[in-house]
Amino acid sequence: MVDVVLALVLVAIAVALSRVKGLNLERDILLGTLRAFAQLMAIGYLLNFIFDLHRLELVFVLLLIMVLIGGQTSSRRAKSLRGRFLIATCAIGLGTFATLGLLIGLGIIATQPRYLIPLAGMTIGNATRTCSLALERLRSELTSRAGEVEAALALGATSSQAAQHVIRAAVRAAMVPLVDTLKIVGLIQFPGAMTGMILAGAQPLDAVKIQLIIMYMLVAAALIASLSIALLVIRKYFTRDHQLVVL
Amino acid sequence: MPMRIVFEGVGKTRKYYDSQNSLWRQQVVLRDLTFQVEDAEVFTILGPSGAGKSTLLRLVNRLEDPSQGHIMLDGHLASSIDVIALRRDVGMVFQLPAFFPGTVRENVIYGPKLHGTKTGLDGLAETCLAAVGLSPDLLGRRTQDLSVGQQQRVCLARALANGPAILLLDEPTSALDLSATLAMERLIARLAVERRLTVLFVSHDLEQVRRVGQRTMLLIDGHMVELSETEALFTQPQSDLTRRFCAGLWKEEKHG
Repeated sequence: MVDVVLALVLVAIAVALSRVKGLNLERDILLGTLRAFAQLMAIGYLLNFIFDLHRLELVFVLLLIMVLIGGQTSSRRAKSLRGRFLIATCAIGLGTFATLGLLIGLGIIATQPRYLIPLAGMTIGNATRTCSLALERLRSELTSRAGEVEAALALGATSSQAAQHVIRAAVRAAMVPLVDTLKIVGLIQFPGAMTGMILAGAQPLDAVKIQLIIMYMLVAAALIASLSIALLVIRKYFTRDHQLVVL
Repeated sequence: MPMRIVFEGVGKTRKYYDSQNSLWRQQVVLRDLTFQVEDAEVFTILGPSGAGKSTLLRLVNRLEDPSQGHIMLDGHLASSIDVIALRRDVGMVFQLPAFFPGTVRENVIYGPKLHGTKTGLDGLAETCLAAVGLSPDLLGRRTQDLSVGQQQRVCLARALANGPAILLLDEPTSALDLSATLAMERLIARLAVERRLTVLFVSHDLEQVRRVGQRTMLLIDGHMVELSETEALFTQPQSDLTRRFCAGLWKEEKHG
């Protein structure tokens, strides 16, 4: 803890620079520093508590809450659509629990809180971001390509056939940041989990192994989540008689 | 397989969001329309922009449904026919060409392919392209590389590929120059006869309506002002509004 307090010198430098140069950031930096301290300490104690309990159902409840928060965050991107919270939550939950379940089933990760919680946290965070992007893109693609969609409907396509290109474009666009991260990881970017493990004294190769598992999990979960959300949400833009609803 | 279209007391209201006053408002688009379009007839709908012409067409292939009244196709209630089957029988060409990613061929065979046709697609694509006066050499071309005139013809070929009985044309020449427009009109007239199509042709262009339509409905502000033989609409208008509109005076009057 002494180390952390000493590291506050860095914050002091930042505040001083801001003051001298008139950036007017002092208040924000101090507030941010305090918030980061409080939030991280709280989650640190919570994790400690949960790890010590060795109760899996408690872990599950925590993951569920995380998924709900993810669903809530992402569903804001689909304003005015009925059932958006449920859809976003299901999509993110599906992506997370399917991949997590597979990793557990294959015996790659142990069912211990110290693995499950951080892995699920990263997965849910990524799936949420991907779902938000997919929702945004779905809406804009549907607006800009309404002519194409209605041309397909007029030729006797069902809603899902008519929206096929739109769904594809939305999911592809949503996956771009993550796929790009996969391509540059290790070359430009050193991911957080790996960096943290190395700092904490793990062998670099062990850290890399964990990082690879994480990345593969993130990609699969994000794809499952964004594809599910696109397929579920697209139905809201059409009537049962395959009519495009005016946006 | 020609088809008669009957409108009975059809009205359409639409909700729209008034962002200035932050509330939903209702807009009446079509009011109490009763008329019929005969088998294999070229029927034009004339009116200024915003009159509800496009909406009227969209009710026929059920891209939208009426708020009041109903539409009968060949004696059957349109809302009772399976909507996918109905749309295969009712081809539509929109004001602006909109394509699916890919080649001319992929666009033309889109409809038949959806409905499970697997063989003879190449022949069908060539036939449909020939029917709209385009060379089969275009089949492999990307749609964005064509001229707008060619694009609208591909859209027409795409609609024909389903073998429709009714053709809905929503200002299909508004993006074309005069010679392409005239060629398109001749093509549509020929197709209507050859394939015994019932054609609903929407236009705001007085001259075009006079060239194309057998009978014409004048639609202003969602109201059917007059419906008669096209020539009679111009030479013996039954109302003052028709006379002024067909003389090209309506717009000036409204804004002056």
